[in-house]
Amino acid sequence: MQVIEIISESEGLTLRQRWATVFVILMSVLFMLLGLNLRNQVLNATTLYESPQAGVTALYPQNWLLDTTGSYVFRVRDMSRSGFKTTFQVSVQAIGADAQERNLADRLSLDRIVTFTDYRVEPLEPYIFADGREAQALNYIYVATDASPFLQPIPTVVRGLDILTISGGQAVVITYRADANNFDAELPRFEQFLRQLQF
Amino acid sequence: MRYWIFFLASTLLGMYSLSASAQQDTPSLDLNRIQRATVFVIQASDSDLDTRCVGSGTIVRFDGLILTNAHNVVPSEACPGNELIISMSLEANEPPVPKYRASIAQIDLGLDLALLRIDRELDGRIIEPENLPILPFVELGNSNDVILDDTLTLAGYPDLGNSPTLTQRVAVAAFMAEPSGGDKSWFKLTSNSAVSGLMSGGGAYNQQGQLVGVPTSAPITSSTTADNCLRLEDTNGDGFVNSDDACVPISSSVTVIRPVNFARSLIRSASLQLSVEPLTAPPPQVVTSEQPSVDDERLYFATSVNNNLATQVIGSAPAGTTSLYLFFDYFNFTEETVYEVRVSVDSVPSDVFSLPPVRWSGGTNGLWHIGSTGQPWSNGNYEFRILVNGLVVATADITVGGVPSEQASFSNIVFGIKDDDGILQGESYILPTGNIASTRFIYRNLEPGTEALFAWYYNGVLLTAASDIWTSDDGVDGTRDDISIEPEGGLRPGNYRVDLFIGTPPRLSVTGDFVVAGTPEGVLPNVFSNIEFLRAANAFSPPSSVPATSFTDGANTIYAQFDWQQIARGTLWTMQWLVDGEVFYEQTSAWNTDETGQDFQVRLTAPDGLPDGTYTMNLIINGVLLESSQVSVGIGQLGINRLEEVGGLQMGGQIVDADSGEGIDGATFVLITEDFSIADFVWDAEQIYALAIADRNGRFEIDRPLEFDSPYSLYIIAEGYLPITQDGYLISQESLEEAGGSPLDLLIPMTKD
Repeated sequence: MQVIEIISESEGLTLRQRWATVFVILMSVLFMLLGLNLRNQVLNATTLYESPQAGVTALYPQNWLLDTTGSYVFRVRDMSRSGFKTTFQVSVQAIGADAQERNLADRLSLDRIVTFTDYRVEPLEPYIFADGREAQALNYIYVATDASPFLQPIPTVVRGLDILTISGGQAVVITYRADANNFDAELPRFEQFLRQLQF
Repeated sequence: MRYWIFFLASTLLGMYSLSASAQQDTPSLDLNRIQRATVFVIQASDSDLDTRCVGSGTIVRFDGLILTNAHNVVPSEACPGNELIISMSLEANEPPVPKYRASIAQIDLGLDLALLRIDRELDGRIIEPENLPILPFVELGNSNDVILDDTLTLAGYPDLGNSPTLTQRVAVAAFMAEPSGGDKSWFKLTSNSAVSGLMSGGGAYNQQGQLVGVPTSAPITSSTTADNCLRLEDTNGDGFVNSDDACVPISSSVTVIRPVNFARSLIRSASLQLSVEPLTAPPPQVVTSEQPSVDDERLYFATSVNNNLATQVIGSAPAGTTSLYLFFDYFNFTEETVYEVRVSVDSVPSDVFSLPPVRWSGGTNGLWHIGSTGQPWSNGNYEFRILVNGLVVATADITVGGVPSEQASFSNIVFGIKDDDGILQGESYILPTGNIASTRFIYRNLEPGTEALFAWYYNGVLLTAASDIWTSDDGVDGTRDDISIEPEGGLRPGNYRVDLFIGTPPRLSVTGDFVVAGTPEGVLPNVFSNIEFLRAANAFSPPSSVPATSFTDGANTIYAQFDWQQIARGTLWTMQWLVDGEVFYEQTSAWNTDETGQDFQVRLTAPDGLPDGTYTMNLIINGVLLESSQVSVGIGQLGINRLEEVGGLQMGGQIVDADSGEGIDGATFVLITEDFSIADFVWDAEQIYALAIADRNGRFEIDRPLEFDSPYSLYIIAEGYLPITQDGYLISQESLEEAGGSPLDLLIPMTKD
């Protein structure tokens, strides 16, 4: 019986093959980085909002719904979110010359306690803007329900954060609200919003 | 033959086409919308929210204004509840579910109408107006267009909230006339209608689905009793439900409808949140310890009415009479008074001509009439019994039948003052102070030798009486204007009456009331003058000193002030306010300040400032417009709110996962206005026509009616799903019919991302 031994050719890769492998790996990494960059650009894309009357300029997340018809300067909401729509809002209120952020926080809480379900507020904390301006941060929590009487929504626990500051003789309230489960995940986006906000 | 068949077929086809096109042009009765706009009103105690009284109501504006009966919502001894809970059916075939609390926005106890405003969540939290969803509401029709035998659809909740909205077709059997609303003050239902008393406050709709009236049952007051009073709850907390607990009164069945035109001014003022307050002399609160009564010696009938006066007093009416009114003087009536008129024909009770117990809509004292016109009064003896707070206070009867009377008569009385040529001027029912007042009247069949008696009264006291023997010079038929009164000291301000009698014993043939006020000036007396409008920063700050007729930069509050002269206390006067020609305030009250004075002040205000518009103040006595002035605010006309448009298509549906078929919680349905396409859409709320968010079952509702044949764009997004977009989404009447009619129910499957 004749035995035929089959053995592999053990000669190494050619130089060309080696470079091709390296090039493919490099290209893969490069395209991955490019994809990540594109994704980040899409996710972090912003739209400019300017209100000369209120003296407010902001960059808000692209494709969030802009609303200027309420009792605020503007409000943007992420309508793609299920449940409570993550919201950034800037409002301006008249305030007395002697009033401080503390008084403003009390006013807001007293207003909200009659309109929000199960409104709970935490102690004020200091907050410093990127440009060094000082403010106060008001954290709170409440339960939100869709307003339509003919639907059957499940109430959502909402966490809120108000940055309160007094500027130019008026109180500026910058609000962030999100589903309590998403609050921390969305917080960096709000911080970026705050960094780019001018008033 | 075949030509005839062809002709007949063509004719029938043509008639069908005409009929079909007519049906398309006329809005149809949208029962779904009516049912959704109908609410169940619970009057509850403010402490523990025990149910005290219940009734129905109708949403008449997108912002949650509810029209209902006043007796459903005003705290009283029978209904001691201060909280108003609004329940609504989430589905057409379901009982109502408590959803909101409401407050009274406008009320007229006499008309038994109230407007409620939804302003709180069920747990008592305040709802900011911008956070209230657009609620389904119905359009108001013109109740004057309702005619006899019209079929109306009533909507309301027939029991204590255990059943869904009931719609019930009824026929209009008669109209009842009163001074407060003319010949169509009430719509009477046929006796076999059997409408539950708890549908009181709901809606009555014409064939176009427009609200034309409010079904009204007898108000339950401390002096009247309910047919039933159901004990539902342990209201005293003793662990038992027994006679010690408060019960929920169930009123008698609905037999009348209050026409919706009575509610228009209330709705207008409530929607604009306008309030008018006479500051110099507020209308007096009628508090009297005396029982309401009727002068049972002075009841009379007439077949026609002019300026709320009988044109001629009759003793009988001929066969074929189609109008008949009973007149009587009343005293010490209030808005709390419940009155009723029971009519029997040849001793058989007549449902058609009787008025069930209703609230009093007149003043404290005065002349009233009740009757009906436009329908045959069959031959027979009609007995009218007037009941006040459940007790018979007066009766009168009249026979209808036979030929028209040839009896001597006076009729059509008016009053005026003669000029230097002896010609009667200013024929009306208000005369200036002066020396002489004259009357003109028509006489018929007055034979020479007939004795006539003229009795003049001032504020209810006989002033003078004179008789006259008819002569052949006067003629049998004609007009006289030479009967005058010249009281000593002249005509003082106040209320006057003249009774004209014929024959022996004297038979009352005509009677007339007039008011003397103001000074002579032209045809009408000068009673009110110098209307001025002053602006104020808010309702609590004093007005500026500079009057104007136009405030182009807006106004928060306006003070109107005018001078007056020679008005006696107790004289009934009417202040009427209009905005852009539509009445939003009308108050008739007794004058209760000095006879003459300056700067009678009235405040017109609204919580957020007066809306732009042209405001008119009219000052009226005895139906005569004596002074009027206008002031323009802002652009001088009310803004247009497209949300007030009731027509269009209701749309809703369900957004589901394409694989599992389960609803997607929180999916967003965006309807972009016809002015923008998906490519133009930049997520600006101003580009959006309507927006809805799906509930836990994926169900959503567009709260604003869509316009037919208008190309909208759709954008549907949900977290984790591929968005759906579509341009040129339009719905025609025809396609809606094919899809099963309004509301349009969409099923939208979404694919996972």
